[in-house]
Amino acid sequence: MIRLRTLRLGAALATFVVALILPGAAGAAAPPAERVVCVSKQLNEFLYAIHAQDVLVARDLTSVYPPEIQKLPSVGYHRALSAEGILSAKPMLFLTDGNVGPDAVIEQVRSVGIPVVVLHPGATPDSAQWLLAELGRRFHHEHDAEQVLKRWRAGMDSVRRDSARVVGPRPRVLFMHFGQIVNNYLGIRSGTPADLILHWAGGVNALDSLGGMSRLTPESIARAAPDVIVATDVGFDRVGSAAKFAELPGVSLTPAARNGRIYRIDETEIMYFGPRTPAAVRHLASMLHH
Amino acid sequence: MSNRGHDTALLATLAIVLAVSLAAAACLGAYGFSPGRLFDLVAQGARWRAARDADAIDRDVLLTLRLPRVLAGALTGAILGACGAVMQGLFRNPIVEPGLTGTSAGAAFGAALVFVFGVPVFAPGASWGLLALPVVAFAGALCATLLTYRVAASFGRLHVFTLLLAGIAINAACNAGSGLLSYFARDPQARNITFWSLGTFTTASWSSVLIVALAAGVGWVGIAPDLKSLNALMLGEDEALALGVDVRRLTRRLLVLCTMMVAAATATVGVIAFVGLVVPHALRLIRGSNHEFLVPASALLGASFMLWVDVAARLVIRPGELPIGVITAVVGAPVFLLLLLRAQRAATGSADD
Amino acid sequence: MIELRDVAYSAGGRSILDGLDLHFPAGALTVLLGPNGAGKSTTLRIAAGLLRPARGEVFYSGRPISALSTLELARRRAVLSQHAEPAFPLTAGEVVEMGRYPHYRVAPSARDRAAIDAALAAVDMVPRRNQRFSTLSAGERQKIQIARVLAQIDVPEPTRALFLDEPTAGLDVKHQLEMLRLARDLAARGVAVVAVLHDLGLALESGDRLIVLSRGQVVHVGENHEGIDEALIEGVYQVRVRRVPDPAGGRALWRFLH
Repeated sequence: MIRLRTLRLGAALATFVVALILPGAAGAAAPPAERVVCVSKQLNEFLYAIHAQDVLVARDLTSVYPPEIQKLPSVGYHRALSAEGILSAKPMLFLTDGNVGPDAVIEQVRSVGIPVVVLHPGATPDSAQWLLAELGRRFHHEHDAEQVLKRWRAGMDSVRRDSARVVGPRPRVLFMHFGQIVNNYLGIRSGTPADLILHWAGGVNALDSLGGMSRLTPESIARAAPDVIVATDVGFDRVGSAAKFAELPGVSLTPAARNGRIYRIDETEIMYFGPRTPAAVRHLASMLHH
Repeated sequence: MSNRGHDTALLATLAIVLAVSLAAAACLGAYGFSPGRLFDLVAQGARWRAARDADAIDRDVLLTLRLPRVLAGALTGAILGACGAVMQGLFRNPIVEPGLTGTSAGAAFGAALVFVFGVPVFAPGASWGLLALPVVAFAGALCATLLTYRVAASFGRLHVFTLLLAGIAINAACNAGSGLLSYFARDPQARNITFWSLGTFTTASWSSVLIVALAAGVGWVGIAPDLKSLNALMLGEDEALALGVDVRRLTRRLLVLCTMMVAAATATVGVIAFVGLVVPHALRLIRGSNHEFLVPASALLGASFMLWVDVAARLVIRPGELPIGVITAVVGAPVFLLLLLRAQRAATGSADD
Repeated sequence: MIELRDVAYSAGGRSILDGLDLHFPAGALTVLLGPNGAGKSTTLRIAAGLLRPARGEVFYSGRPISALSTLELARRRAVLSQHAEPAFPLTAGEVVEMGRYPHYRVAPSARDRAAIDAALAAVDMVPRRNQRFSTLSAGERQKIQIARVLAQIDVPEPTRALFLDEPTAGLDVKHQLEMLRLARDLAARGVAVVAVLHDLGLALESGDRLIVLSRGQVVHVGENHEGIDEALIEGVYQVRVRRVPDPAGGRALWRFLH
């Protein structure tokens, strides 16, 4: 008899404790964060895509898409942040994709009691889609997120179908991205979103090594011998025109330069997966196969 | 020296300026506080008044972010100013400062090594891991400074231009080393190196402030008795020797102390140049070269100067921040050129009847 | 009295002095003479304790100076040499004040201040005390340096020495003579004064005692001009010279021939 009472008591206690914790766990995400500082251009673009942009109070220097975001104050380059600057926007949440510097800043923001949420976008369209859905959940725009995801997925399906139909030789393409900190052109290697987008567009990466970005030298550009060069906006604009770009050392020796196949693309189209990826694939495809 | 009363009054004035600057730097910024609010929050933190929950965030920002940063700035300015004055006295020319003798670059290279290879490589026991960065920075700074000094001295009489050239060479070598490290570094480490190499106070914490304060204290205790000897050195090495100054020992001791202080500061806030050049120069114009006045005054004025530079860094592109080294370079580079021109003119002209 | 015993010194693989025995008496002005490279400056610097000899020892009143610290040495002897411009702005008074550095630790005492005032008065530069050193003429600058060393050896000790390393270089004649007059006055007050003079004529005019060096060796030691004859000067300086008695009495005059 005593054992049964103890059991029932224990069960009641357990239920009580669980009932305390569970809503708390869900509640951790429940109160809407009305003031968000987000220093990731990808996350910021997604927030605008799902119409949750009203939570934003500040951005980082490189978040420039969509153009309306530039009205928000910038807390600086995402790799040169200061906790004070972030906190001066009086945020209730600090949102980042993990690519922040210096390291101490995240800890400093946390130490003052402001929650920091790090959402890694991952390396595949699926993980990016998960990210957008997660943002929808956090900021209570699930419906908008659903709509965007539907269109995105349909777009990706169409892209994959068209990509499977590509026949014939794939042009060798070199992406040239300009790194402002290193003040040099960087090549985008395989295993990156840009590389995958290129594959769907019907091209093949002229750089055959794996991982991130690599510093380009005139020799490495010439050795890659790309049929097409696609330069991102900052790097292209600092030179001014395709003709001038073709004169850059190393570039001038490539088939791409000889045949006048040098193009400009906005970096936000290819550096990460997003709802605009299907359109970006078609944009790139038109460059490669016209 | 000739007018100790004057000197004391000026030092007192500089101290008051520093106190005001400290208060101002604590108040100003994208995250601003009014003076009344500042006092209230400090009182809450020191428990003279009851801590209010509503003020929690403001209090934390002030006490854990702003105050350490302000103190790091003041200490760094004091160290750079004083060491600039001491080095100018040691090398007997006005165009010397830790940034030009390879000291800062050597410290930066040491710090880069710690960033890239990680603290555990240098401090196997976790207990003194916090000291790994300043200690390795000190080692790097010491090697670089001694190399510069040796190279310059090997050309015979220590001429200002040979010292500058040797400093440029060692600076270049250290920067190349840091650059190489950042090239091979994995992404998070590389970020730290490039960001920090332009100078910043954002990463200052109470523990790093403590280390810099300790270094400054020890350095000051070591340097203060030698200020008179620095005066004698102004007449020339032989004359100083004839006046009873052990020049070789003095040079070694002061160089090591300065290097230690600059390394501690550099390890915490990165590379900041020109402060050690600008501040003593301005003071010499006002009050001459008596080191018993000049060195402490350079410390006080350097601290105030650095505080206002930090305020500017925080306000100009708020809520973003400029790197400190950029602002000191904008102010300091013209002064450096001016000094160089003066030295050129003095070398070719003559001040005689 | 200062004594050098068996002093040897070499630099750059070359032997400059080898087994030198000399003494510089107190109360006299001893002039070191000799052509360039003879080792005059080296001898003076070794005697002043600025250079350590490779062999041999220097004695001040019988005590070896290697037993003295740089500071103790600075309290009983001063050195005046050709000066480079100080790199930083200093006043004349500040330069003289440095002469008292060996005598106080933190702040100058009344005794120190009195010594500084007396030194400035001795060179007649009291009104120029607060003037920038670099704006003085060459002669005035030398006077201030003299005041500095005067202040330095303004001590009650009997063993005091003053070393002058070509102190007249670049000065007008008037200042050269003033300089030497001061040196002789000091000697008269008991200081051992040792001077290296480059100007042969001036040197022959001035010294109570003359020491002629040639290639690191002593070739003559003597009071006034005793023993210095034309053959000696010609041999050491490679120049033809004629010794002429002064029609007005006093020391002999020397005439250099082409």
